[in-house]
Formats: sequence, C-alpha cells, structure tokens
Amino acid sequence: MEAPATSPGSLTRLCVKCRSQEATLESRTQPVCKDCFLKFISSKCIKHLGALGRLTRPPPPSLTRHYTLALSLGPSSTALLHLLHTNLTYSLTKNRAPPFHLQVVHITNDSTTPLPPADPLTPLRPLYPSFTFLLLPLSTSLSLPTIDFSALPPSGPTSSPPALRLRTLLAGLPSAASRADVLRLLTRHLLLHAAREARSQALLFGHSTTALAELTLSEAAKGRGFGVPWVVSDGAEPEGGVVVSHPLREVLRGEVVRYGGLVEPKLLVLEEEVEAKGGAVVSHRDLSIDEVMRRYFGEVEERYPAVVANVARTTGKLVRMLGGGGEGGRCGVCGTPLDGEGDERWRGELGVEGGGGTGEEAEGGGGGARLCYGCERSTRG
Amino acid sequence: MAPALCAVCKTARALIKRPKNHAKLCKTCFITIFEDEVHHTIISSKLFFPGEKVAIGASGGKDSTVLASVLKTLNERHGYGLDLVLLSIDEGIKGYRDDSLETVKKNAIDYDMPLKVVGYDELYGWTMDQVVETIGKKGNCTYCGVFRRQALDRGAKMLGIKHVVTGHNADDVAETVLMNLLRGDLPRLSRSTSIITGDSRSEVKRSKPLKYSYEKEIVLYAHHKKLLYFTTECIYSPEAFRGSARGLIKQLERVRPSSILDIVRSGEDMARLVPGASSSGCGCKGKEDAPLTAEEEEVGGGCGSSAGRPPGGEMAAMDRQLRENEEAEGLEIDVAKTMASKQEPKRELPIRNSNSKPTTQQVLGNCRLCGYMSSQDICQACTLLEGLNKNRAQIQI
Repeated sequence: MEAPATSPGSLTRLCVKCRSQEATLESRTQPVCKDCFLKFISSKCIKHLGALGRLTRPPPPSLTRHYTLALSLGPSSTALLHLLHTNLTYSLTKNRAPPFHLQVVHITNDSTTPLPPADPLTPLRPLYPSFTFLLLPLSTSLSLPTIDFSALPPSGPTSSPPALRLRTLLAGLPSAASRADVLRLLTRHLLLHAAREARSQALLFGHSTTALAELTLSEAAKGRGFGVPWVVSDGAEPEGGVVVSHPLREVLRGEVVRYGGLVEPKLLVLEEEVEAKGGAVVSHRDLSIDEVMRRYFGEVEERYPAVVANVARTTGKLVRMLGGGGEGGRCGVCGTPLDGEGDERWRGELGVEGGGGTGEEAEGGGGGARLCYGCERSTRG
Repeated sequence: MAPALCAVCKTARALIKRPKNHAKLCKTCFITIFEDEVHHTIISSKLFFPGEKVAIGASGGKDSTVLASVLKTLNERHGYGLDLVLLSIDEGIKGYRDDSLETVKKNAIDYDMPLKVVGYDELYGWTMDQVVETIGKKGNCTYCGVFRRQALDRGAKMLGIKHVVTGHNADDVAETVLMNLLRGDLPRLSRSTSIITGDSRSEVKRSKPLKYSYEKEIVLYAHHKKLLYFTTECIYSPEAFRGSARGLIKQLERVRPSSILDIVRSGEDMARLVPGASSSGCGCKGKEDAPLTAEEEEVGGGCGSSAGRPPGGEMAAMDRQLRENEEAEGLEIDVAKTMASKQEPKRELPIRNSNSKPTTQQVLGNCRLCGYMSSQDICQACTLLEGLNKNRAQIQI
C-alpha cells in the first residue's frame, strides 16, 4: 500500500480503516481496531445476503423470504447465525419489514450416540427468539426419496429402530473415508429436505473460504471433480428449487473464529472444531479424506491466506454443467448431475482384466442404481 | 495360516500388494496386469498407428525406463508395428545427467533401440549449471522445464519423428491437477490432463502412455523386471506448489489408495468445466480445439521429487502477489486508475453469474524468434533466454 497509516498523536498504532481508534488487531496484513474488524466481517456476509436476496424472490402473496440455516454448532455456522440475527434486528429497529424468516436446522448423528437426552439447541433458543429451531436425527434421512438406497449397503429390516439401521448401513461401507463421505452426503440431503419442507427459498451454509477450498480439493480427491461447482458455488440445485448459499465464503476460518471471540457477548460455540492442524495422526486407516484436507489447509491458511482465498475464488468460476453424454439424470447418492461424457472418456479403469478384486465395478451390483464416479468409489471401495 | 494365494491365478503365492487397489498378486500376474493396463490405455486412447516412428523421452529414471521396457514388450506382443527410438536431453547438470545418461546408453543396448542425446548447450547456448550460476538456485526449475519441453520436440524434429512419448505417471498428473487448483490456474487445469497434447497443427505430438500407472507400481515393475534405472533427485530446488501437492497426494493415497486415480478423473472432468473450454476438449479425438500448447503443458516429473517438503518461496510469493492485488482492488474505487491497469486486479464476484468474465483463452501461434508453437508472441524459452543473455552480456563487459 502506498499510504501507510501515519500515526501521530498519542495512539501508538492507528487503525487503517477508521483512523480514529487504536489498532489492536491485524487483519489481512493491516492494523485495524476491533470495531472495524467486526464491521469488515459482517460487510462480507451482508454482501452475499444481498446477492441472495436478489436470487430469491418470494412467491407473490408473502413479501418475506424464507431461509433455512444449516447449523453444525461449530464456529462458522454459529457466527453466521449471529450475523443473520444482527441483520434481522437491524432491519426491525429501522421499522422495515423483516428481510427473511429463518429456520435453523441442526442434525445430530444418532448412529454413533443415541439422541442426547438434552436438546443441544436449548441454550441457543432464548438467544435468538425470532428464529425457529429444528432438531433432526440423521437417521430420518433413511426415508428420503432423493437417495437411492439400493446403491448403499443394506440397513437391515425396516422394523428396527432407524438409528440402528443407519449404524448398520455405515458399518457396511468399505472404509472410514467412505463412512465420513456418506455421512456428509446424508446430512446434506436431509438439510435440503428440511429446507424444502419449510418452503425455504434458500439453504444457507456457514462454510468459510477455507472450508470451501477444502471442500473443492476433497471432492476432487474423491473423484467428484465434475460435481464440484454444484457443491461449492452458490445457486439453485440442478433442477431448480432451493438455492444453496455460503454467505461467509469470503471470510477465512481463522477470521470467523476470531469474530466469534470478539463479538459481545462472546459467541456460544457448542461444538468446537477438532484441532485443525498438529495433533498426532492416529492411523491413516481411521482418517477421512476431508480430515486430510482440513489438516492441510489449516497449515496453508496460516502461512498463505491469499492462496486459500484464491482457491475458493477460482473454483467459483467453474461452470455448473448438467451431465453430458445425453442421458442426464442425477447420482443416486450425492445427487449431483451424472457425467455421461466423463464416463465415456474415462480410460483409467481400476483392475482391468478382472485382477483387481473389484472386477466389473462400473456395472456391478446395486440393483441398477446410477452413481457418479466418486460415489461408486465411496460405496464400493 | 497358509500363505495367501494370488488373486488372479490362484496358484502362485501372492507376493505383491498392489498399490492401486491392494489386491494381492503374484509376481507374474502383477507384471502381466501392469502391461495389460498400459496396453488398454494405448488401445482405448488410440495412441499409435502401425508403422509410426515414436521417440521415447528417456531420462534414465524409473518412469522412462519402465516406459521403454513396456513399450518394447507390448510392441512385440501385440504387433503395434512401432519404430521406437530413445531420445535423451542433457541439461548440463554435473553429477546429475552424466550418470543417468550412462544408464540410458545401457538401456539403448539392452532394448536394442537407437539413442539420440540433445544438449541444452547446443540448443540454447546454456547448460543448466551456467543458468544456475547466473540466476541462482531459485526459480531455475522453470528454465529447466521450459527448455526441456522444447528440447524433446526439437530433438524429435531432428530425427524426423512426429510423436514423443513421456514417462509421466498417474501421480504426476494428479499432482498437476491439485497444483493447478491450488494455484487457481484454470487454463492449465484444462490442458494438463489430456493424454495426448498437440494435434495436426503442431509438428510434434506428445502422449503419456503411463498416465494411469501408479508411481509405486512403476517402481515395483522395474524392480521385478530387474530393470536398470538411475535413482537421483535433481540437485536444484523443486517448485513449492508441486512439492506441496505431492505431499498432500501421498497422504491421500494412504487414506484411500485409489485417490491418485480419482484425482486424475476429477481433473479430466473439471477440464471441461473451465469457462471457455470446449465441452469435449479431448485430444484423442483430434478436435480442433484440443489442448495443445505443449510448451506450457507443465506436467512435472523428471525433476524435483520433494516428497513432503514444506511449501516454500513460490507459494509465499503468490500469496504476496494476491494480497497486493486485493489491496489494489480496494484502492481502485476512489483512486489509482493507473495502478489498476498495471496490476490487472481480478474483480470477480465470487457468485458466478452468466455474464461473468471468462478466463483467458489462449490462441495458438508461433514464436516470432524460434518458430516454435506458442500462445505468446515470443515463446517462453526465448523470453527466458533473452533475460539470460542480457545478464551474460553485462557480466562479460
């Protein structure tokens, strides 16, 4: 920058933005004050909420938009919850109509732990009285029509409890990496379902820049390169319907975490994220691809934040394509458009000549479910 | 417990756990499968035509040695009718090529193939040692890589050969895919994955028959076939992005062995999602708009196997550059229009809409100085040479 903050007077270091307060923080290599930092984060979020508002026109009779927020209770989605609340409160104090109605959905993984006796959302409800909260056990995803369960391992008799059936299904997957992947996909399906049920025009995710960069690379590493734009960019689902949006896409994970600590009162983050970097690797067998990426980007963000931002920005430019090769249709497990053309061109078949134990994997089993390359990999190993 | 039997022949004892999918195989079946898979790649991608003269880019390293051996075997077994020649580049790095060139010479005798060695000094007037003397150890891989790419083509042209095959393996391609994602380099991403680069308009086409072969399997193949190859790492520093991507791939491979192949697949598919890329940018079909700038192809390998090396200078430099751009973007609103035009800040809104600016598309032409195909007025090699020669002149004065 050509004009570094000149800091005459009593203050030792002046905030480069407001030039009136002491800079107590460093944000993107600039010394800033706390207020300016908080404003900076919220302006990044509001910019995307504005864009989302233009994408989602409410149906005629009502004037208010209906959104669903995916709340994992981690730092990013909690920060987004807070930012949405602030945004709504601001509109109300200005005597404007509320810009949106918000349903907050949290999904608990009841396959590992039985439903916690206490509702994990209890501490949040009084803090955000204008929002509706919904708690869904992940096993409800077993009845979703958007998933082709014939492609997944059997979940046992329908008479057994759903949580047990989900556990059985997950146990039938070939590796920890597959389980983590399928778990993520089921969660996403259920969130979209909850948004549709509530007639929401949009589903909001708390993904930070870093999380989106991770998601890009981990989807690519799982062989789902074709589907990346459908997952990472903002916009409507393949066949229209709910708009998926990531309002924090321009904020780094470190910044989100810092935001949560600076807001007053401090944000109530109920599920601290697992330590992103460091920490001894227990065993690669228990690690998922998403975790590998998380560790990797934890380091990269610390040293080269602009590189992380650039990954998210450039992947945002990739075109969302509907499946080539004429057939069209969507993958029975992840729901992204099938890529007939990619399948046709692919020459890297594993274990040609039937030597690989997987044999004719492309056509094998599964009751004729049509899956994308990445889901084939995840479900069949 | 009885020893495990080979999953294919079910008679011999399994000695090899296949890196690609962890199948347990005996030595013979592994070698057969490895060769069959390369054959499958060659046939399904229609890499060669009968009677074609093909130069194998031979470095003396494991990849090119295995490539030469496999191609010789398959050429005889399946009657490809190829006329195979070994083509080596001497970068002029003391202690690196001297020994590996000896290996290539032995390979030439073993495989009964003619060998042609082309030196950087005769092509460019500079050996790599001299380049490093001038510019230091930082960034010299760029020179080496750019020079080598052209060197293979020029060497092939001297021999009247229109097809060069290189030993790039699946790990190299996967690395390049991740690297280009990390660098946010979409045009390169869209070019780097095709198995053939170059088409009717370019004089020499390139292909990578080992594109789907794992590096670990190449090593196993070389080991079990008792092939003679030269193991060394280039003594000069590797690119940081590649090193970083390589470390990441090794970890992914441990979590899911098929990851390397999965990344290659993702790369192929994502290539079609790059704005401005043809929906079927497939080199094998000889489409007009196939990716062809071999000069900038940037699939690494050959040098710089910096397993797990921490990301260094290159990443830091890009990080700095990006931040400066971002700052310039902030300035742009009130002041500094001149600065904006100089820095070309990318003012892309993260939400992609239909009228967003497409990524730069490259038009193929020829270098004004050397005539080599290039998307720029002057090709990369000539640009680099110009800089070098300027320096040399000063030093000598």
